[in-house]
Amino acid sequence: MSQPTAPLISIKDLHKTYVRGSEHIHAVDGITLDIQEKEYIAFVGPSGSGKTTLLHLLGCLDNPTSGELKVAERTVYSEKAAMNERDLTKLRRELYGYVFQKFYLIPTLTVEENILLPFAFYCKPDAHKNAQHLADLLGISHRLNHLPKELSGGEMQRVAIARALINKPQILLADEPTGNLDSKRSAEISDIFSKLNQEEGLTIILVTHNPAMAKSAGRMVELRDGKLV
Amino acid sequence: MPSLFGIAWKNIRRKRLRSILTIIGIALSTWVLVSLLGFNQGYESSLNKDIDNLGFQVLLTAKGCPYEAATLMLKGGTGLKYMPESIVDTVKANPEVEEVTPMLMHAVFDPNKGEEGGITAFLGIDPVTYPRMKTYLQFQQGKWFNQPQALEAVFGYEAAELEQREVGDSYLLPEADVEIKVVGVLKRSGTQDDGTIFLPIRTLQKVYKVNGQVTSVGIKVNKSTDIAKYEEELYKLPDVQVVSMAQVKQTISNLVATARVMVMSIALIAILIAMVGVMNTVLMSVLERWQEIGIMKSMGAMTSHIFKLIWFETILLTFVGGVVGSVMSWILATATDKLIRSVLPYSPTSALVQIDIILALKAIGIIMFIGIISGIYPAWKAARIRPIEAIRSTEGEL
Amino acid sequence: MKRIGILILLLVIYTTGIYAATGCDLNEPDRDVKRLFPGSTGFKTSYVSIQQKGGKALQTKIEQRLGDKFTGMYETMDVPYTVYEIYKDKQGIGYIHGVNQKGQYGGIQVFLALDPKGVIKTLYYQKMTNQSAKAFRSDTFTNQFKGLSMKDFAAYSPVTGKQDGALAKIKNPAPKAVQDFRATLRGIKKNLILMQEFGYTK
Repeated sequence: MSQPTAPLISIKDLHKTYVRGSEHIHAVDGITLDIQEKEYIAFVGPSGSGKTTLLHLLGCLDNPTSGELKVAERTVYSEKAAMNERDLTKLRRELYGYVFQKFYLIPTLTVEENILLPFAFYCKPDAHKNAQHLADLLGISHRLNHLPKELSGGEMQRVAIARALINKPQILLADEPTGNLDSKRSAEISDIFSKLNQEEGLTIILVTHNPAMAKSAGRMVELRDGKLV
Repeated sequence: MPSLFGIAWKNIRRKRLRSILTIIGIALSTWVLVSLLGFNQGYESSLNKDIDNLGFQVLLTAKGCPYEAATLMLKGGTGLKYMPESIVDTVKANPEVEEVTPMLMHAVFDPNKGEEGGITAFLGIDPVTYPRMKTYLQFQQGKWFNQPQALEAVFGYEAAELEQREVGDSYLLPEADVEIKVVGVLKRSGTQDDGTIFLPIRTLQKVYKVNGQVTSVGIKVNKSTDIAKYEEELYKLPDVQVVSMAQVKQTISNLVATARVMVMSIALIAILIAMVGVMNTVLMSVLERWQEIGIMKSMGAMTSHIFKLIWFETILLTFVGGVVGSVMSWILATATDKLIRSVLPYSPTSALVQIDIILALKAIGIIMFIGIISGIYPAWKAARIRPIEAIRSTEGEL
Repeated sequence: MKRIGILILLLVIYTTGIYAATGCDLNEPDRDVKRLFPGSTGFKTSYVSIQQKGGKALQTKIEQRLGDKFTGMYETMDVPYTVYEIYKDKQGIGYIHGVNQKGQYGGIQVFLALDPKGVIKTLYYQKMTNQSAKAFRSDTFTNQFKGLSMKDFAAYSPVTGKQDGALAKIKNPAPKAVQDFRATLRGIKKNLILMQEFGYTK
């Protein structure tokens, strides 16, 4: 468990550079940032500003080119060492939940099975109880035996959120969670996020184009050309 | 709780048509494989059975006595050597011997054959034991004589044709001027029997005054007997030669070996086809689910989980295909038999394709092994997917 | 593979007697031709059957001319007849042709050496099983057929056995073997008819 004083996620001079032909693209260009436990932070900025890349780095989905990344006081990446794939997977299981713009539900599995999908790979006690709790919380308990194609977009995203939270993560990463939803559904999802942050004490890191949702975050960080503004 | 196996199973059902086609492909390969393995097994035992039908596995003759009619003819009907008939009892005393049949070959000079006369040969046989050993001989007309001293004869087809004999006709034994009745004409067998005139051995002994003598003894031993060893044993008898079946067995095993090579190469092709089919299907399925797999990895799936997931799919496909194919080959065994028979220039009489549960299990095992092998590449490819690549490929943002 | 199969069977099965296949061939053509046609330099062998020359209709015609039905298992349409065409240098000097005729105690092989017009030069029993075979095969008996041809046999009926014209002079050499005497006449007549119907003689 992390100590209350230390930040949950800490990055120092973090770089991510892509090589595309002869061109070097600095998607993340020397960002230093701390994220505290139970914080709700939103990254905003124009397309290509590097906010999604930063999110992936913070979520240990991608390796930085240089700099330092510490999560819960564990060094994920530094000049000296990088975590191997196995430890990264364990870290993701333990700390993270992910929500994406496209919901990535498995079409052949029911809502309940989709929510419980992570436990196809590892076990956690009380999984079913937690699933029921999350379904109630997200208002999809009546949909548990349905297939994803029978759901609306908003419902699908709620299922994806439930799946992201099934392992009781400390951190929820969300990349444009309302990008495929209309404004009414977007507002609903936004409310859910706020509720999760305030009532469940979940740390939320969000990338969004939706100004209303960004506003509901406790802290809004703007990016441009891979740098903090 | 979803299991890897359940996810794999559901995924196979997702693309139903494709899965069914793949399963049909595997089933066909299994059918070919099972049928070929069945053929491999059936052909050999069927050939052995044919050999068994020939009656005796060992032929005992007096030393120096020609045992083939052709040799006898070349020698102008001379050179026949005799053994006392008591040898039959000596041979029979061995518990390994199932049945013994004495035979007497006799050649007669017939002055009214050709310009300068010719040889006619007769085979004296025991009306009780001989027909039992040569069950493959069938009659065009009539039947075997049943009296040991009867003045009767059975003609092989070609012998009957040359002599223009039918059942009920008379025949004059040359030299002895004894008239006998034709009681049977054999169907063509494609063997030297076609040209043979059979008489009861007692009759032949009496007519040509070779009482108490035989020229050869056909011996049928128990199935469990080591024939080579038994032949050695026979050589302990004085002044005999043993016409060995070893060479015939050798010829047969060569024949079987050739067939086996042919059969196995076809089986190999069937296996390769199945392999490519499975690999293609599973690889397609991996490529289509690139993102899904990436998401699974982001949610805590290890490389090994993804590998297993894809592997299960392959194994499931091949297992179902293998079972379907085995059942199919079992149902179609008769048709397959006919098909192979129509292609083969020489086929033994009994079932060519012998399929049993062990064979089917073996084939399913082989097919699944192939599935496992051909699943490695797609599974490995899937397992190597990094979550970020899968997500980024659609999110389209840096 | 079939050959191997038969080979196996041949190896295994104990048998006697090697006989020529179905038709009626000379046992030793080279020697027999020289003997029946002294002065010949060569011969050509061909195989013809009623089936291939005209089938059922031809068989019926032959039966009518013969005055008897084909009988038994072996006197059928598909029997291959062997015709030897004899040459002296490049000139055809005659034919040798044999038929299988059912005798009392066995098959009788009735061979005729014919001149190109179909006149009998020699009657040769290649095979005969009969106590009196020697009498039949003697020159005294066979020489009586020299010079005869189809027209002498036209009226002969194998059913009644009544001999007319030139045939009336020919006596059975073995009164006990009347059946084989008649078989001989039937065999010769059939032989001559076949040679005409197959288009060798006029």
